[in-house]
Amino acid sequence: MEFRRRSYKKEEELGGDLPRSRVNVHPLSPCSDSSYHSQFHEAVDNSVEEFFDPLRGTSTGVVGVSCDSDNVEFNSSIKVNNHDPLRDWTMFKKFLMQRFPVSKLVRISTISDGILRSHKYNDKSSTSLHPEEADDSKNFADADTRYTTRQEYVSRLIDFKEKLRQAWQSDDRVASLKIAIKVARLLMDTSVLQFYPSLFVLATDVMDLLGDLVWQRIKEKAELSEDGIMLRPLPENFVASDVCSDAKETCYNWLSKIGSVKELLPRIYLELAVFPCWRFLLNQPMDSFKRIGKMMRGLTDPLSSSYCRLYMAYTASKFTSHDTEILITCIKDMMFVLEHAILNNSREYYGDRKKLLMSLMEPTIGYIMRNIFKSASQEHLDNILVEFDLNSKGRIVPCASIFIHYLIKELPDEALNTKSMEIVDLIGRYNDGNFDQCINYRLLGFRLCESASPANTVHVVNTVFQVVSQWDELEKYLNVVDPYVDLVLQNHMDDLLMRMVKGISERAEGRGFSEVELGDLQSILLKLLSHFKDPGAHLFMTHCLELLDMMYGSFRSTINLQILNTATRNGAIRDPVIIQLLLEICLAVIDSLDQANISNDEQMTRLISRFINLVDYNFEMEHHLAFLVRCRKELGGSNETKEALVHASNKLVIRGLKDGKHPDFIKSCMAFNEVTIPAVSNMLKQLNLYIETAEVAILGGLISHMDRLIQSVVSCLKIIMLEGPGGTYNVDIFLSAFQKASNLLVMSPSNPEVNTLQNLQSFLELIESGAWMMPMIRFRSLSTILWLAAIHSQEVLPYHIKGSQLAFEGDVSMLYGLLSFSETIVQKLLDSVQEEPSKATHGGMALDACNCIASVFEINNEVSNICYDLLKTAKVCLGSSNKYVKSTGKFLERRTLGSSVVTTTN
Amino acid sequence: MSSSPSSSTSGPTVEIKLSRSSRVFRPSDIIEGKIVVRSASSVSHYGVRLSINGSVNMQVRGGSAGIIESLVGAVKPITIVNRIIEVRSPGRIPRGTTEMPFSIGLRQPGEDNYERFYETFHGANINIQYLLTADITRGYLQKSLSGMMEFIVESDKAELLDQPMSPEMVVFYITQDTQKHPLLPELKSGGFRVTGKMSTLCSLSDPISGHLTVDTSVVPIQSIDLHLFRTESVLFGDRIVTETSLVQTTQIADGDVCRGLTLPLYIILPRLLTCPTVLAGPFSVEFKVSIVITFQSELSKTYTKTDPRNPKLWTAMETLPLELVRTK
Repeated sequence: MEFRRRSYKKEEELGGDLPRSRVNVHPLSPCSDSSYHSQFHEAVDNSVEEFFDPLRGTSTGVVGVSCDSDNVEFNSSIKVNNHDPLRDWTMFKKFLMQRFPVSKLVRISTISDGILRSHKYNDKSSTSLHPEEADDSKNFADADTRYTTRQEYVSRLIDFKEKLRQAWQSDDRVASLKIAIKVARLLMDTSVLQFYPSLFVLATDVMDLLGDLVWQRIKEKAELSEDGIMLRPLPENFVASDVCSDAKETCYNWLSKIGSVKELLPRIYLELAVFPCWRFLLNQPMDSFKRIGKMMRGLTDPLSSSYCRLYMAYTASKFTSHDTEILITCIKDMMFVLEHAILNNSREYYGDRKKLLMSLMEPTIGYIMRNIFKSASQEHLDNILVEFDLNSKGRIVPCASIFIHYLIKELPDEALNTKSMEIVDLIGRYNDGNFDQCINYRLLGFRLCESASPANTVHVVNTVFQVVSQWDELEKYLNVVDPYVDLVLQNHMDDLLMRMVKGISERAEGRGFSEVELGDLQSILLKLLSHFKDPGAHLFMTHCLELLDMMYGSFRSTINLQILNTATRNGAIRDPVIIQLLLEICLAVIDSLDQANISNDEQMTRLISRFINLVDYNFEMEHHLAFLVRCRKELGGSNETKEALVHASNKLVIRGLKDGKHPDFIKSCMAFNEVTIPAVSNMLKQLNLYIETAEVAILGGLISHMDRLIQSVVSCLKIIMLEGPGGTYNVDIFLSAFQKASNLLVMSPSNPEVNTLQNLQSFLELIESGAWMMPMIRFRSLSTILWLAAIHSQEVLPYHIKGSQLAFEGDVSMLYGLLSFSETIVQKLLDSVQEEPSKATHGGMALDACNCIASVFEINNEVSNICYDLLKTAKVCLGSSNKYVKSTGKFLERRTLGSSVVTTTN
Repeated sequence: MSSSPSSSTSGPTVEIKLSRSSRVFRPSDIIEGKIVVRSASSVSHYGVRLSINGSVNMQVRGGSAGIIESLVGAVKPITIVNRIIEVRSPGRIPRGTTEMPFSIGLRQPGEDNYERFYETFHGANINIQYLLTADITRGYLQKSLSGMMEFIVESDKAELLDQPMSPEMVVFYITQDTQKHPLLPELKSGGFRVTGKMSTLCSLSDPISGHLTVDTSVVPIQSIDLHLFRTESVLFGDRIVTETSLVQTTQIADGDVCRGLTLPLYIILPRLLTCPTVLAGPFSVEFKVSIVITFQSELSKTYTKTDPRNPKLWTAMETLPLELVRTK
């Protein structure tokens, strides 16, 4: 066999460009035109593709469209559901049950106790609907308190529901009603406190059930005959005149039965539960609704009446969407009731108990407010504050701050914007110790931030700040300032911003921050950072750094990380002050991670690497190198950091070469690398770093360095070969590293001690030692060495380093050595091709081998036999119509014809 | 709807089913229905008869202050209607379920309407009731089978007032000065004032309506209730014995209500327990409404049973007569 002669210079002169041909349409452009599809296929070989190429498949365009339309429909159905009162209510009930933690023991009144017990023993003695004759004695004797467990109470209620259903199914409807009345009476007992919301949820479940059953019954009466045959179905929007008198009769009976319940609260709940049935009797049932609302004024306990109003709001939402008036009246009445209770019954309504009661009432206020604004007309919105009548002179509504809170929370954006000044005034007016003013200011701030274009923001912010700056307490100050920072930044109120930040430092002076305050401070600093996008900004530097110093713990780390993050997004970091600052921040973060025993924090190492990469000392490269050294000493814990340092140093070398720096500087950089790289624990990374540094050394003409580096490369290769690179991903990296390392050998000057052939032998040994190598990998490595041998056989090498000696100077024995070496390689190549189990890969490898051998050697009989054998194998595996097979065949033909103009399509 | 069967479970049963599930009829209506006999074996009988009975049953109880105890007893009932028709002539009822339709009128054509058809009323002492009884006489020594069904009579159209009728309303005041009974000293000195409006003439198909406002009250209020009473008077010999009893109590306010807030009064009149106000010779049925305000006091806790007719020191009340009429 004979190596193919190549003249690299000639090839370069002839222009080794790949052939290009023009197409009409860019293959990557999006196009769902089917005509294009066919056109494209005509242009390309009409071979059957074994795989689906997503870049070419135009059917994906159609699929994408239908997906979008599905998404749109899905979204719109979700939108509809958002206003579904039933779904809203279910979620609200869940929230109620979970919001208030209930202790195991629940305190109940004697009446409730009686009800719960009576059911336990299945007491049927009370046959009348007027059980007050029996219970009168208990009405006034409320000195006794009993207890039951939460579990017991809940299971009792669930039991009630089941019994109601059973009674109804066995046609004992009177018993069902009695059960419902009992359950409703349980709601009169507010001594259960935190359990009340859960009690409400469970009890209203029972009453909803009754309401549904009664509705069904009356509807059946209207639609079916006595024997159950459908006579005439009621239309969806039926009116009272559509209903027959029998059904009306039944409806009236039910309403009068409920009307005979003595106590007010149960009666109201039951009336609400069956309220939809009014439709059978009246065309306009809403008047009845208003009446019920007025009846509620007879309930004086704020807690039970607020939940009763909640139930009313829910019923209204099911029934109609024009319930704004009623709900506004609800809120006003609630305010009255609270006012009255607090002013007249200070024994009960003060201190912790008051706080608890108010917090229990909060969800009801929130729900009603939300429902008011869901359906409020523009007119209502415009006058909403007037309607709530909070501003009238001489009237101070206690606990109004809660109502204001929910007003701010639920008011739609537009109305909020126009009324922001009035609301600010309102908040200022009501400084009852109940809901801290700061909470309301804060909420207002957040809402203004969220809204699109708030109208009098500047005015509002200034007013609020005036109020807030009177406060001395740091916590409250921070609490309120937090959301307003956003507004201040949006409206470029720089002066105010300075004053705000100064205000924080003033109040924090000598005092430090508590955890709660730190949270708010962190949020403020993050906002400033993201606004200015540069920690070097003047405002930030002057004020925030001193605040930052006073922070501690995870808050400080968050800010530090964020500063790093922001800083590394701005491009090169040039200012030495900033560099120093960032370095200190990196140190601080590393410290804190150490303290928390977190090693290898990925985000941190990523940020540090980025930081190192972005630092740019411009012309002061010595300083840069010093910086790198310092970084290595202080920051260099992880492999990524070391990598970054090595990369940075290599970049310095390149720049230094370009700028004509003194060779000593270059050498010191190289030395830096040579010291740093061995510290990297990952062998594969080391290998790549060595290769990179070697390449840089070649660029710089540093021959001795290069030698040493290549030795290090080889020793790395040895180690990896023995151990295996670990993981298929790493195998690919290794392979490319191996190939690069081989390339280095092309350029390495001759070492009188070790000649090229020995080098190649040692490489071969390396490959043999790699027991972990799959046939494919071995094949690739072997073909690389084959190429290497071919190159070294040429008279003139493609590249050489200035001032180095040429490797091969026509040494014939060397040539023979290379040839025989290559023959062994070829044999091993063929072996590894045979070993490959997978058919497709086998075929591919055969073709690769064929191409390789045909390119390396002159075509003689032996070579041609080998190649055609390989081609046959490939045809068997892949099929003769495979494009690669075909093109290889053509290539072989060309080579066999012995044309000297070689344009390979390798 | 059916009535309860009369015989034991083993024997044949007789039920009356009416054409209207509400069982409400007017005097001029024809009552239609069927008698349903269920029997395991065939029954031979001497005729199936249906009798229609309407009467005013009265009794007098001791207990109201001032009545001598010896005046306890029943008064002769007043018959409104009493007629028997034969539905089937003597024969045999086959085995299984047999339905025998009937129709019977309350008023006989051409009959003198000297007896008014009073509306059905279930009171404490006076009971106006209309019954249908089905009798199947069997042979000698065999007990006859029977079934019974009550139905409700409401006044004829001809006697009714025009609809719509606006209830007559009356304004009332309740203050410490309007009370006829003694009050707690703090109530007397502190004072209170409750005003309102209520209907005194009301249709039976409408609720009692009105409103009430607590203007002032120094002593906190425990509860405000509205009691509906019936006053039944019976002519017993040469005396008229009157008794007032409670029909229904409805709570209007629970706890100390806000001053100046108007609370609605809304009571649906219970069927069967109320009827149009009747002032007949031998008996009369009248109604009245009482608004009772109970104030919070320590004393009230020791008195467990409260009789709404007897005012206490810590209660204030106002009673208004209520005339009920049937309109349609």
